[in-house]
Amino acid sequence: MFSKFDIDELQKESMDSVKPMERRTFLKMGLLISGVYAGGKVLQVKPADAFGGHGKGASYKPHYGMVIRQHLCVDCELCVEACTKTNDVPSYGYRTRILEHVEERAIGQKREFIPVLCNQCNNPPCVRACPTSATYKDKENGIIHVDPRRCIGCKTCMLACPYNARYLKSSTKTVDKCNFCYDTRLSRGEKLTACAEACPAGVRVFGDVSDPASKPYGLIYQLQHPVWVLRPESGAEPNIFYTKG
Amino acid sequence: MKRILILLVVMALASLTLFSVVTFAAEEVFHGGDVLYSKPVKAVLFSHKLHVEDMGFDCESCHDKLFEMASLAAEEKPDFNMDGLYAGKYCGGCHNGEMAFASNTQCARCHIGVKGYEAITGEGSKKSVDH
Repeated sequence: MFSKFDIDELQKESMDSVKPMERRTFLKMGLLISGVYAGGKVLQVKPADAFGGHGKGASYKPHYGMVIRQHLCVDCELCVEACTKTNDVPSYGYRTRILEHVEERAIGQKREFIPVLCNQCNNPPCVRACPTSATYKDKENGIIHVDPRRCIGCKTCMLACPYNARYLKSSTKTVDKCNFCYDTRLSRGEKLTACAEACPAGVRVFGDVSDPASKPYGLIYQLQHPVWVLRPESGAEPNIFYTKG
Repeated sequence: MKRILILLVVMALASLTLFSVVTFAAEEVFHGGDVLYSKPVKAVLFSHKLHVEDMGFDCESCHDKLFEMASLAAEEKPDFNMDGLYAGKYCGGCHNGEMAFASNTQCARCHIGVKGYEAITGEGSKKSVDH
């Protein structure tokens, strides 16, 4: 049931690799498969479809989300450092990571970096999988939390997560993950996550994706640049959007 | 007399060897090799081979106007950052969109990141995730 993907073992995929059922599910979501991204099953979401096809029925306020302006990332990892420091992440764990994609055949720039973190999904597979309701979606702001008092460390959520965004923290024997710095920053009045604040290149644009006046809203709901999400075929309805250019 | 002759021959041979070393060396292209910058962010790899051997620039193209001869001297300067480059300093002297691709494009063409830095320096062993 849970297909685990190892981020280090991922192979490049072409359009042919998209299974008919996957394509069908995707079409049912009102989205057209227009591209496959190397290194993962990343299908480009046509911007026009992002308007009506995403987050239907979600009524979080604020609805926290993030836009990753991927072309600006240089893997300086100041975001990872800030996250680690802010959220007490051990050296073997991670709440956010930077993936590297190298394409030798490309003209000019042959390397790009892809920041990844928990997608705070609207339809979270991890929440469905958790046997003790330790991981849950915040009814107000949509953030996926882990309650360490309820977590039994069974790792089922780690298998269920389409984004490999969770790790087991040895010190507590519970699962830890990105919560948009809710306990460490947002609930204390800060407006940005530690990673968004630390980024020197403006890669991570954090805010209320339901607020037309917010920065991420302006980047998502436009037609000039492509906007996509990772692994949309999972049906998880992620809230981390990617864009370039 | 004979000794002096031998000495002369030895000296002649020695100078010939020395001379040939110098000529051989002069034919080599001398440059600063790779320069790995880690400030203000990790990391940028500058290749002298690419710019000098492959593209044919000479030392005076960049030294001393854009860069001091001393390797890594630039990264100690407060204006060695993207704004400095956009103002035409350092790499921005050429990477302005006219002579070479502009500094505000193709970020990861020069930036190799922490991953690139660690691959070169051997620092930071691969993190093992406790699964």
